[in-house]
Amino acid sequence: MPNKNGSVYGLTILSPIIDDEKVTPSHDLQIRKYLATLPTGELSPFALAPATHLARLVVMDDVIYVGMPACEEHLKSKYLVFESNCDGELDDYLAGLAASVPEQLDAIWSHCVGYPGAANRQAFIDYMKACQLETTFYFAAVNDKSVPETLRALQTQHAVSEFIADHQGMEPARLQAEFMQFVAELKLAPVPRPGSMGEPRYIKTGGRNE
Amino acid sequence: MSNINGKVYAMNAITPMKPWKTWILRGFFFLLGHIKPLQQDLINLSFIEFARWVVLPRRQFPFLGNGQAEEELQYDYLLFFSNFNGTWNQYIDAFSAVLSKGLNLVWRWSEKFPGSVPVTSFKEYIARVQFDTDYYYTAYPHAAANDLKSAHVVQASFDKLAASAQNYTPEQFEDAYLRFVLEVQTHLGETGEAPIVF
Repeated sequence: MPNKNGSVYGLTILSPIIDDEKVTPSHDLQIRKYLATLPTGELSPFALAPATHLARLVVMDDVIYVGMPACEEHLKSKYLVFESNCDGELDDYLAGLAASVPEQLDAIWSHCVGYPGAANRQAFIDYMKACQLETTFYFAAVNDKSVPETLRALQTQHAVSEFIADHQGMEPARLQAEFMQFVAELKLAPVPRPGSMGEPRYIKTGGRNE
Repeated sequence: MSNINGKVYAMNAITPMKPWKTWILRGFFFLLGHIKPLQQDLINLSFIEFARWVVLPRRQFPFLGNGQAEEELQYDYLLFFSNFNGTWNQYIDAFSAVLSKGLNLVWRWSEKFPGSVPVTSFKEYIARVQFDTDYYYTAYPHAAANDLKSAHVVQASFDKLAASAQNYTPEQFEDAYLRFVLEVQTHLGETGEAPIVF
């Protein structure tokens, strides 16, 4: 199935944004304004909810005219694009989002046509599926590891680097004892939180040619 | 607007295609998905964490009623979403240099695609069809694709040694530990903030 690559799911959703001339600012601008203030690190809704490797939200204003001799055409709605790379099955992932961050989901998708709210779990899942696009080709560099497994591996990589550097030339019996102690400590260490190690929001740069 | 989070860049692009051509593209993607050696250049590039192409037929834009106007389009559209490490220029340069044939097979069905070589006109086209990201999240902002692959190599070797360490004599452990160091030594690169590129 093209939506999946190994155990990773490539979710693509296009939600039509409400077009209401009487609303100021318009719904698409309200989404953009809200997204500009949404944390991208440990407090991101995608960090608070389980199973997201990477995700993006994009307001797509229109299709793009590439010039003559192509025909110029325009969309009748603006769309909110939700692109996510996540673990497991789609229903479980969407249910996890609805259970963990309903306020944030409602703040974003309440500007979209027909959004039922995250409180009604099944209606939310059905709505997202109604807006889902089938991926034609999906590539994942690592397709068999979950988010916690990856965060744990990055933590191990860092710790192992330090252990090796600190224990060069050590006598074997002591090295073995300290390695086993190291294993025990690493096992007890909590898995780093998703989105941690990130820079604060203010360094965002934007632009396409940086 | 934020195309970048830590070491990843979110790229979005949309290009129009005449509907009859989308079937050829679907055929190409079907082959690409089922013949793994064809993906080798994409894998070797090693700075793409996730990427996807979505063929969106002109009559299949989500339509939910509730006052939404139904789209009336002449073209099908090809959507491209990539999560890559490095800068936009590095990415497009590498794509053009390494994957030019593959890229031509993907985008030659799109209107006005100039070809991926020479790179100047290719960049001009991508810049025209790209649209910016409003919100971008990654669970591991300080890790590049190679860091992820390496971290899993280290974890696997570490788990193997950890499972048997207590059963070894000190001398046996020393041998096993040296083998472990040899296995992981090229996978211990430090993660951290992205370098500033000028």
